[in-house]
Amino acid sequence: MAMIDTEHATDHDGPHTGTDGVRLHVQRLSPPDGRPPIATVVLIHGLLTDSLASWYFTVAPDLAAAGLEVVMYDQRGHGRSERPGSGYRLDTFVTDLARLLDRLDITGPVHLVGNCFGGTVAFAYAMRHPERVAGIAVIEAKPATESWLTEISGILRRVEEELVVHEAESLAWVSAHRGAHTARLAKSAARLVRTTTIAEDVPASQVVSEEQVRAMRCPVLAVYGADSELAGQQRWLEAVLPGARTVVLPGQGHSVLAEAPTRIRELLLSWIDEREREHGRHAATGAPAAGAALEADA
Amino acid sequence: MTTVNQTAPSPAADAPAEASVSAPADAQAVLAEISGMLRTMLDEYGLDDIEVTMETRFTEDLELESIDLVTLAGSLEARYGRQVNFAEFVADLELDEIIDLTVGQLVEYVVRCLRAARER
Repeated sequence: MAMIDTEHATDHDGPHTGTDGVRLHVQRLSPPDGRPPIATVVLIHGLLTDSLASWYFTVAPDLAAAGLEVVMYDQRGHGRSERPGSGYRLDTFVTDLARLLDRLDITGPVHLVGNCFGGTVAFAYAMRHPERVAGIAVIEAKPATESWLTEISGILRRVEEELVVHEAESLAWVSAHRGAHTARLAKSAARLVRTTTIAEDVPASQVVSEEQVRAMRCPVLAVYGADSELAGQQRWLEAVLPGARTVVLPGQGHSVLAEAPTRIRELLLSWIDEREREHGRHAATGAPAAGAALEADA
Repeated sequence: MTTVNQTAPSPAADAPAEASVSAPADAQAVLAEISGMLRTMLDEYGLDDIEVTMETRFTEDLELESIDLVTLAGSLEARYGRQVNFAEFVADLELDEIIDLTVGQLVEYVVRCLRAARER
């Protein structure tokens, strides 16, 4: 297990560095047999009940097997990373990612893949560091607009009420209806909300305007479950970012990554493959130029 | 202090005949190793008197979460090196199956990998 201390990272964040360094848990998977990677992909998990395990146990091994250098990390407060008492505004999560990549000496443009809140982090990172991003692929996510803030604030209020004030009853219900593992994750989420200022900090995040999103030049893939509350996001994104590719998966809800990992893997692989071809980066890495470069072994 | 009791695993009924003599000994050793890794992890959570057997389920019985299995994968790699590829093992499993994993399933996988490495 690699622990990366972001405290001593080179600081590229200028006025945004209102944050203390934290120790972040990182896992990397490389292409098999020492093949040089075609590109680097950074996987960013969601808020509260999530961790890098959601990638590790779904698409990450396949992405590495297809020739990518895969970087996963637990965001502050989550998984095996440090859980500081405060410092949970969106900007801080973005700074963590910037410092993490500095620490890992990953300087070239990377592909960011974010699930839910991780997708919001990917949007924010791409807007702050456009030169460091080859493209972003977000699953069930939206940029940090005013409406995002309203929704996430509502979710956090509900979590505070249910998981912290009525923790025992809530966990018993989750355990009975959603199983032991979800209950275990809920317990960790309750601890995070109880012991940190996350429920106050995330709603205090700086929002972006529609114009700022519209000004994005970074390639964007956005995937939604048709039955998810976020499905309507597709139309908004298409209007604001006509160049973005959007995919709505029928029969899927918010947990589409866990429910349909094969489909997500296929979408991610062809997305990254296309972006790399566009930039003619395949030749530089010595990977096969056509066809089989990023084929998943299905 | 967490007490981890080990129960001797029973040989798998479908194990190939030529392996049936050495399998229990291998499995026993691997179970002891994995129990040790789990003991370290459970100590951090302050859990006591957890019995680890081949039938123990990571989530249901040990209350581990998926991120703990990632940590366990790191410990396995530190102990066995590249002979045991946990990422490859889980790549073939659905998330639900990973959550329902038993210690025995992991022990059997490690034993298979070690045997394959010996035969190479």
